[in-house]
Amino acid sequence: MKVIKYCLNIAFIAFCLLLTKHANADGIVVDKVYHPYVLPFEREFEWRLVSHQTDSGNILAQRLGGGGAISDTIAVEGFIVGERDDNGDFGLKAYEIELRWQLIEQGKLWADWGALFELEKKHNEDVYEATSGFVLEKEFGKTSLTMNAFLVYEWGQDIQNEWETEFRAQYRYRYRSAFQPAVEVYVGEDFFGIGPGFIGLYRFEGQKQLKWEAGFITEVSQSEKNHSFRLALEFEF
Amino acid sequence: MTKRLFNQFICCLLFLSFNAASKEYLIILKDHLFYPSQIIIPTNQKVKLLIENQDSTPEEFDSFDLNREKVLYPNRKSIIYIGPLSKGRYDFFGEFSPNTARGVVIATDKGDQNVDN
Repeated sequence: MKVIKYCLNIAFIAFCLLLTKHANADGIVVDKVYHPYVLPFEREFEWRLVSHQTDSGNILAQRLGGGGAISDTIAVEGFIVGERDDNGDFGLKAYEIELRWQLIEQGKLWADWGALFELEKKHNEDVYEATSGFVLEKEFGKTSLTMNAFLVYEWGQDIQNEWETEFRAQYRYRYRSAFQPAVEVYVGEDFFGIGPGFIGLYRFEGQKQLKWEAGFITEVSQSEKNHSFRLALEFEF
Repeated sequence: MTKRLFNQFICCLLFLSFNAASKEYLIILKDHLFYPSQIIIPTNQKVKLLIENQDSTPEEFDSFDLNREKVLYPNRKSIIYIGPLSKGRYDFFGEFSPNTARGVVIATDKGDQNVDN
């Protein structure tokens, strides 16, 4: 067990160092910062929206999904992704399946660990994308730092095969259940975005609860306009 | 210089990673009530809550204050790691019986007096 913990630490640190030097991902990097926790009975519906504004126009991406835990530590979720391009055409863009794996009991180690695996297929195109990576969360009193480090591989007849990397981070103040302000960072190819966000939760009866997240991310490494607004709603039951 | 600082940072991370919880506090969940419902722990120390669910139905331990959620299977013991906490009161409850299954962790400088039914 100690060897596994040691390897996890080394792997994540090495990966983060690599990413901070060579973060490299096209497309929209701003999406969601994942947390490394899975609850055994969790089932959820999720809707995400990202509005990406640049000098050349606006791209709106929406993602609708559902899924749940299949074991004490693993959850699976399926998504359909829709996107509106610069011409105003909104349509089905991709399908995605996502697996989250909680690796360590929360609070047991210095930080909490998880892993994420995603497989995406573009609609009507021979383009595939596989993502894998680590998810880490560390508590500092009333605040929590969450970091995601992903390695992405794209392949298919309609795309040039390539490796990409992404880094996401969220530093959140657990002020109240319904309002937790945060700062978020997203790093990808020619993209370093930072901005405010907030997370909230409203509890209904039993296990039913609604979580919301929003963020406004501004790209700061380029001079052109590049803003992203993200919104996510998760209904757990 | 930078390399040396980085190496020290790595060593520090690894040391902290293996710094496991020490003290253990047993809590019984019976008839949708936590016994004891008040647990006194020392400040600035990581501790283990060992919760034995003696009911025939599952429960979900939930605490925004402690930043923990955990399913408590029936007739099983579950471990919840909490802390290090600063001085204060940290409420918790059972999501399936929020009106009865309630408790509080109190972190004090004296610590370790445990219990109050």
